[in-house]
Amino acid sequence: MVKDYHCSMENIRNFSIIAHIDHGKSTIADRLLEYTGTISEREKREQVLDDMDLEREKGITIKSKAVRLYYHSQDGKEYILNLIDTPGHVDFSYEVSRSLAACEGALLIVDASQGVQAQTAANINLALKSNLKIIPVINKIDLSTANPDRVMQELQNISEIKGEEIILASAKEGIGTSDILEAIVKKIPPPKGSSNLPLRALIFDSIYNPYKGTIVYVKVVDGVIEPGMIIQTMSNDIKYEVAEIGIFRPKMQPIKKLTAGEVGYIIAGFKNIKDTQVGDTIIDASNPAREGLPGYKKVTPLVFCSIYPVDNKEFENLKIALEKLKLNDSSLFSEPETSEALGFGFRCGFLGLLHMEIIQERLEREYSINLIATTPSVMYQVFKKNGEILKISNPVSLPPRNEIEKIEEPYVKVNIITPSKCIGGIMDLVQERRGSFKNMEYIDEKILRLDYHLPLNEIILDFYDKLKSISSGYASLDYEIIGYQPSELAKVDILVNHQLVDALSFIVHKDKAYKRARKIVEKLKEIIPRQMYEVPLQATIESKIIARETIKALKKDVTAKCYGGDITRKRKLLEKQKAGKKRMKKIGKVEIPQEAFLGILKI
Amino acid sequence: MELGLYLHFPYCISKCPYCDFNSYQLEEANQIYSYISALYREITAYSQKLKTGNIKTVYLGGGTPTILSGTQIFNILKFCEDKFTIDKNAEITIEANPGTLDGEKLKLLIESGINRLSLGAQSFNDVFLKKLGRIHNAQDIINSYFLARETGFANINIDIMFALPDQNTEDLQDTLKKAVSLKPDHLSLYNLTIKPGTEYYREYKRGKLNLPTEDEEYDMYNWVIDFLEENGFEHYEIANFARPHKKSMHNLIYWQNKPYLGIGAGAYSYIRGYRYMNYENPVKYIKETMSGKLPKDNGERLSLRKRMIETIILGLRTKDGVGYKKFKKRFGVSLNDIFCRQINKLVNLGLLEKSYVKIKLTRDGIFLANVVFREFVD
Repeated sequence: MVKDYHCSMENIRNFSIIAHIDHGKSTIADRLLEYTGTISEREKREQVLDDMDLEREKGITIKSKAVRLYYHSQDGKEYILNLIDTPGHVDFSYEVSRSLAACEGALLIVDASQGVQAQTAANINLALKSNLKIIPVINKIDLSTANPDRVMQELQNISEIKGEEIILASAKEGIGTSDILEAIVKKIPPPKGSSNLPLRALIFDSIYNPYKGTIVYVKVVDGVIEPGMIIQTMSNDIKYEVAEIGIFRPKMQPIKKLTAGEVGYIIAGFKNIKDTQVGDTIIDASNPAREGLPGYKKVTPLVFCSIYPVDNKEFENLKIALEKLKLNDSSLFSEPETSEALGFGFRCGFLGLLHMEIIQERLEREYSINLIATTPSVMYQVFKKNGEILKISNPVSLPPRNEIEKIEEPYVKVNIITPSKCIGGIMDLVQERRGSFKNMEYIDEKILRLDYHLPLNEIILDFYDKLKSISSGYASLDYEIIGYQPSELAKVDILVNHQLVDALSFIVHKDKAYKRARKIVEKLKEIIPRQMYEVPLQATIESKIIARETIKALKKDVTAKCYGGDITRKRKLLEKQKAGKKRMKKIGKVEIPQEAFLGILKI
Repeated sequence: MELGLYLHFPYCISKCPYCDFNSYQLEEANQIYSYISALYREITAYSQKLKTGNIKTVYLGGGTPTILSGTQIFNILKFCEDKFTIDKNAEITIEANPGTLDGEKLKLLIESGINRLSLGAQSFNDVFLKKLGRIHNAQDIINSYFLARETGFANINIDIMFALPDQNTEDLQDTLKKAVSLKPDHLSLYNLTIKPGTEYYREYKRGKLNLPTEDEEYDMYNWVIDFLEENGFEHYEIANFARPHKKSMHNLIYWQNKPYLGIGAGAYSYIRGYRYMNYENPVKYIKETMSGKLPKDNGERLSLRKRMIETIILGLRTKDGVGYKKFKKRFGVSLNDIFCRQINKLVNLGLLEKSYVKIKLTRDGIFLANVVFREFVD
């Protein structure tokens, strides 16, 4: 049953679904797909739009998706609804903003028991910035802990949303689905733009497919696009011939053309995903539009770490794997790097911590590469006395202190929404993380919104986890970069058996250097197995020792019993242990297990 | 072909919380009858195949072999004598738990031809015995020991465990001094190892076991070796100590990587370079013997290299180490040619001692035997 018809722009609605994590965005999407017959019962499975295993496991949407629904409205007309799925995490806020730019409206999903969260507020702001009509939906009203009245009040407190606009739903039970669809048709305006103008299509995502090459997700704002057309992007002069265009149902389905207002995909032999950056505008090479669509910017990574294969022989595989991941992820940055301790690897840049975790997990899971990742860092600006300004993300590259005039680090504005009773703990946490208080307002009598300025470095590691634990999971967080500020920073080096392990060096605020160094050597002592001789562990700043520990020499490793059949098991166990040792990194003569590097990340 | 014969008895009165052996609490006497019948069937099946085999040692282990009656044990051994060729000077050992022995039973054991008794004493401290889940107390050990001597056992081993939860060196010294004062012929000293699947393992994971540290364990073991050597015992294998001429001949077969036949549930055999194992579960084992097949579960044919490695790992456990001549005779190649790199490295680390005739562990090497063995495995 292939429906391939174009209706006039009047009957097109482009919308996305925005929600705080776990508020039920993907389940709502599933219900809409089922209700409109876009997927059959047979194809039904949880979170239809989330392809990657990781997405399903973490319950998050990593890449944007777009799917076309055909909806026969109660007004008797047929509508084309384009659902543009967006990532739900702050790391991917640029992708979110581009997806939203392709829409005229958004469903705002709020959990009926959890209520308004930091991302809810951030999402509303984002949607308003993109001039979207917001359709508020309170989801999970079937839960015993649901309190839709409270949540309705919260929504009205933080925004211009009116009570009567809010739809009550339970995606799990299928409640509210038709109300949502009707609201989409009635309240969201049709796309503007004109098929008669020169082509302008907004790229809001792109993926790499091994058979078809780069597939670009677009919304045609003006004009028409058809196979055979010669196109280019606004920021690049390379020209491509359109090989295929189509829509998502949710599988790819080729069609003859996409006209203004429509959402779909383009395949045009793009060599590199970098040539089709999210936010860029596709234009007709023979009749180029004069102006690109607004909002395009190059994404810059915020969080950096080095990634090394545990086994140096895996370097080539790691390189290939990173290249493949980059095909699908233009925000992932990587360049080769050498470490004395770890050999050959890559310095990688990510949008945020979650993005970093996802990439590391995918490398390990999909490409079966055992990794060692160094402590994440931010990009520092180092002003040298000779006037040079360096951008440094790797502690190893920090020049000697006597050459440095000052160092600046990136700061973020953090917006926390929390039950008011947790405020004490949160203030302590922010204080401890060098934060400064900016603003506080009540969302209702029990819920607060706090604004702080903090160094990015202080939130990239475990700030979110700590915040969650202080607030028993209730507080939520959103942040945006506000620029660089000078800081008193120092580089701490770690020496194992008197040998510098460059991969363990880190940059830290002076006031925290001692405490952090202490914790790290203690952790190393716990994790590094005893060796044949005593191993000293030292932390130094500019060769001054600020913390030390000693791993005692191995004294006893012997199995008492070995009779009859024991030898079989015993030999196999020894073989396994030996293989395990081979996977350890050798620093000088010391064998350091992978967990040592991972363990330090948790400090 | 010369070989050792092992007979396994998987039943116990109760299962100890640290034990990961193939042993089960006995639920009803019938289990023993069907198990013995199965042993008979397996022995019969082998008697065809091993007509020419000359059995030099017999070892009845468990579980608790002495959970059987004296007559049952007597009959089993008679049956073995019937079906196999057992050397008339064979060392025949039975493991026994104090508390499962009485004068009558001991007499029948002697009459069965058993000439070596291995007593699972474990400790002479009632508090530790209780924590170990043993069914006997210190007095039971002493009673059983003297009763066995009176009945005529001229070769008695005592098993002791150490590095027990909450145990310190003094506790161990007290136990070992008591053991030595009985003048046993042989002592086996096992440090407690926490094995997955045991009750101790679960407690350990929950952080409930206060085990001695590595350093404390080292001190204990160090003291044990010195003390027993001072008292006339030869430390002839990592965990075993013997008075002159009282080494366990059966266990030496294992450490010399020589052939043995294992009968019973979960028993291992090593014959002509093939090592295999019977079904562990007694019910499954019994069922298999009924079909007339050998109750083999799985086995491994060892390559020449694996045989060499195992011979080294096992040989190094003993004071005699691995002799160049024997090695060459057995494998046709020279030990130093094949394992030159490993041997030199370990000698440099001070863990291995190399003489003109053999390699053996140094005192440090004994404590770090696994480090040495890992060097040799692939």
